[in-house]
Amino acid sequence: MSTTPLIETKALYKSYENDGVLTPVLFDINLKIRRGEFVSIMGPSGSGKSTLMHILGFLDGHTSGDYLFQGEPTKSLSDDDLARIRATRVSFVFQAFNLLPRTTVLENVLLPLLYHPTIPVSEREKRALEAIAIVGLTDRKDYLSNQLSGGQKQRVAIARALVTNPDLIFADEPTGNLDSASGTAVMQVLQKLNKQGHTIILVTHERTTAEHAERILHIKDGRIMSDSKDFKRVMAGEKDALK
Amino acid sequence: MLLKDTFRSALRGVTVNANRSMLTMLGIIIGVGSVVLMSSVGQSMQGVILGQISSLGPKSMVIFPGQQEGGPNSVSTGHDSFTFEDLRELEQLKTITDIAPVIFITGTVSYGHEEGSPQVFGVRANFFRNQNIVAKTGRLIESDDNDGAKAVAVLAPDAVQKFFGSIDPLGKRIKIGDRHYTIIGTTKALGSQFFQNADNRIYVPFNVARDVTGQKFLNYATMQATESFDLAFDDVKTLLRRRHGIDNPTDDQKKDDFVVRSSAQAGQILGSVSLGLTLFITTIAAISLLVGGIGIMNIMLVSVTERTGEIGLRKALGARRIDILLQFLVESVLLTLIGGIIGIVGGVFIAFLIAGIAKYFLATYLFAVSFQSIVASFLMAALTGIIFGISPARHAAMLHPIEALRYE
Repeated sequence: MSTTPLIETKALYKSYENDGVLTPVLFDINLKIRRGEFVSIMGPSGSGKSTLMHILGFLDGHTSGDYLFQGEPTKSLSDDDLARIRATRVSFVFQAFNLLPRTTVLENVLLPLLYHPTIPVSEREKRALEAIAIVGLTDRKDYLSNQLSGGQKQRVAIARALVTNPDLIFADEPTGNLDSASGTAVMQVLQKLNKQGHTIILVTHERTTAEHAERILHIKDGRIMSDSKDFKRVMAGEKDALK
Repeated sequence: MLLKDTFRSALRGVTVNANRSMLTMLGIIIGVGSVVLMSSVGQSMQGVILGQISSLGPKSMVIFPGQQEGGPNSVSTGHDSFTFEDLRELEQLKTITDIAPVIFITGTVSYGHEEGSPQVFGVRANFFRNQNIVAKTGRLIESDDNDGAKAVAVLAPDAVQKFFGSIDPLGKRIKIGDRHYTIIGTTKALGSQFFQNADNRIYVPFNVARDVTGQKFLNYATMQATESFDLAFDDVKTLLRRRHGIDNPTDDQKKDDFVVRSSAQAGQILGSVSLGLTLFITTIAAISLLVGGIGIMNIMLVSVTERTGEIGLRKALGARRIDILLQFLVESVLLTLIGGIIGIVGGVFIAFLIAGIAKYFLATYLFAVSFQSIVASFLMAALTGIIFGISPARHAAMLHPIEALRYE
C-alpha cells in the first residue's frame, strides 16, 4: 500500500476579498489524512471548518500554501479539472440532504453518474441499486424524495455519495437536521462504510458527533488547535444496544 | 455529460413544473400559431385569386372605359367613351379575337313577390367562353338569341337561389325592369372575381340590353389576345387613341380615356400583394416571437434563481459549466419547441375551421398550409429558445458551487 497520504496540506491559507476588504479564514493549515481514515473536523460556527472542507473537496480554491491530493498539487487545476475530480474522486453528504424534489430515490442516486466520465450507461442502474441496498432503502427506491423521512433522505444522500465509489466522502453536519434515532442510523452507515475501506471526513460542531470518527481535528479561528486520537470513540447504535 | 442525459435533465425541468411551463410557452404558442394561421389564410386567398386568373387564361384581356387612377376621371364602367364604333374597329384587329362587349341593365329584378337587384349583363355567346362560364342546366345565350334579340335570360347560382330557391327556374319568366324574360339556363358557380361576387348575375342577349337601355356605349369588353398581350395592347392603344383623338406620344396611360387590363397584369399585382402579405406576416412573427422569447427568458431566469441549490448540487457532484449551460439551454429550446408545435397544430386547426366557414362565401377557397411556413415557424421557435435561453443558461453555468449550495 502506498505511503503517500490521500490528502496533505502545507501552510494552507485562505482569505476572501469583499469590496477590497480582505477577510482571512484559514491560517497555516498543515494536515495529512491517509486512505481509509475516518476524521472529524470539529469546531464552532465560523471557525473555518466548512471552508476547509470546501477546499479539500475541490469546491473552492486556496489562497496560498499547498494542497496535495494523492501527492499531486492541485493549485493549477482548471474549473473543468476540479469538476472532473468532484465527479470521480470525492463526494458530499450535506446537512440539508440536497435531494432533487419530486424525483425518485433511484433517480437521485443516479444523478452523480450523469457526470461521471467513465462509468458506462449500462452499469448505472446496477450501481445505484447497490448503493441504495447498502443504506437499506431498496424497498423505497421508487419513492419520491419528498415522501421520505429526514433520516431516509440522508441515507439517500449517502447512497448518492457512494455510487461513484469515490476516494473520499465528505459529510457536512450529516445529522444536523435529524432526530437522535435517525442521526444514529446515519452515523452507523458512515461507520460501516469506513470499516469497508472508505475514507470519510466528517464536519461537525458537536463533540458527540465528532467522536464517531477515529481522529478529531479541532479547529478554531481558522487554525487547527488539536489533532487527537485520544478519546473514547462512539460506535453508533451500541449505546442503544446496551440499554 | 451525455447529450441524452442533458436532454432528459432538461425535459425533467420542463415537466416538473408543467403549469408554469405551459404559461411560459403561451407567448410562443400564440406567436407561432398566428404566423401559421395567417400564412395559411394568405395562401388560400392567393389560391382563390390565382384560380380566377388561370380560369381566365393567360391571354385574357379586358377594356374598361374611363381613366387610370390618378387621372381626372378614374376608370368606370359607366363612362361613355367606349363606343360601338370602337368595337367595330377593334373587331378588325388581327392581334385580338373573341371580343365580347358587355352592357349593363340597371333596374329592379322580380319574380312573384321576390325582388332584388342582381347585376344584369347584356352579353354575346363568346362572353361565356372568355370567362370560362359553363351551363349547369338548360343552355347559355347563343348567337340566335342575340341576333333575334330574344327576351331570354340565364341565371347564375346566387340569382337562382334568391328568386327560385329550390324550384327549377327553367321556362319561368323573370321581370327585369319592365320586361319579362324566359329563363333558358343556369350557370355553374364562378365564385368571386377580384373580390366581386360573380354568381349574383343574370345574363341576357347583348342586343336586348342595347335596345332596352338605348345605350350608345359599352360598359366594358372582354377579349383574347391572339399572340401576346403586349402586341394586342399596343394595337388596342393605337386604335383607341386615334379614334378618340388622344395625342399621347409619351405613352402616358393617365392621358387615355380607356384602360386595358390583362390576367397577366393581375398576376403581377397579386405577386406584389403576396410580397406585402409575406412582409406583414414576417413582421408579426418577429414581434410575437420577440415577446414570447422575452417571456421565456424571464421565466428561465426565475427558474435558475429558484433552482440555484440544484445547480450547486449538480456542480458539487461534478457537473462542468458546459453541462449546466447545455441543460438550461436545452430546457429553453424544449419550451419553445413544444410551444412551437402546439402553436403549429393550433394554427393549422383554426385555419382548417376558417376554410370550412369561408367555403360558404368563397366557393373556391381551399384549406392550404405550406410546409415551408411550418418548418420556418419550427426553426424560428428553436432559434428563439437559443437566443433567449443563452443568458439565463450562462448565468446558471457561471454560479459558484458553494454560493449556489448555500442559496436559500
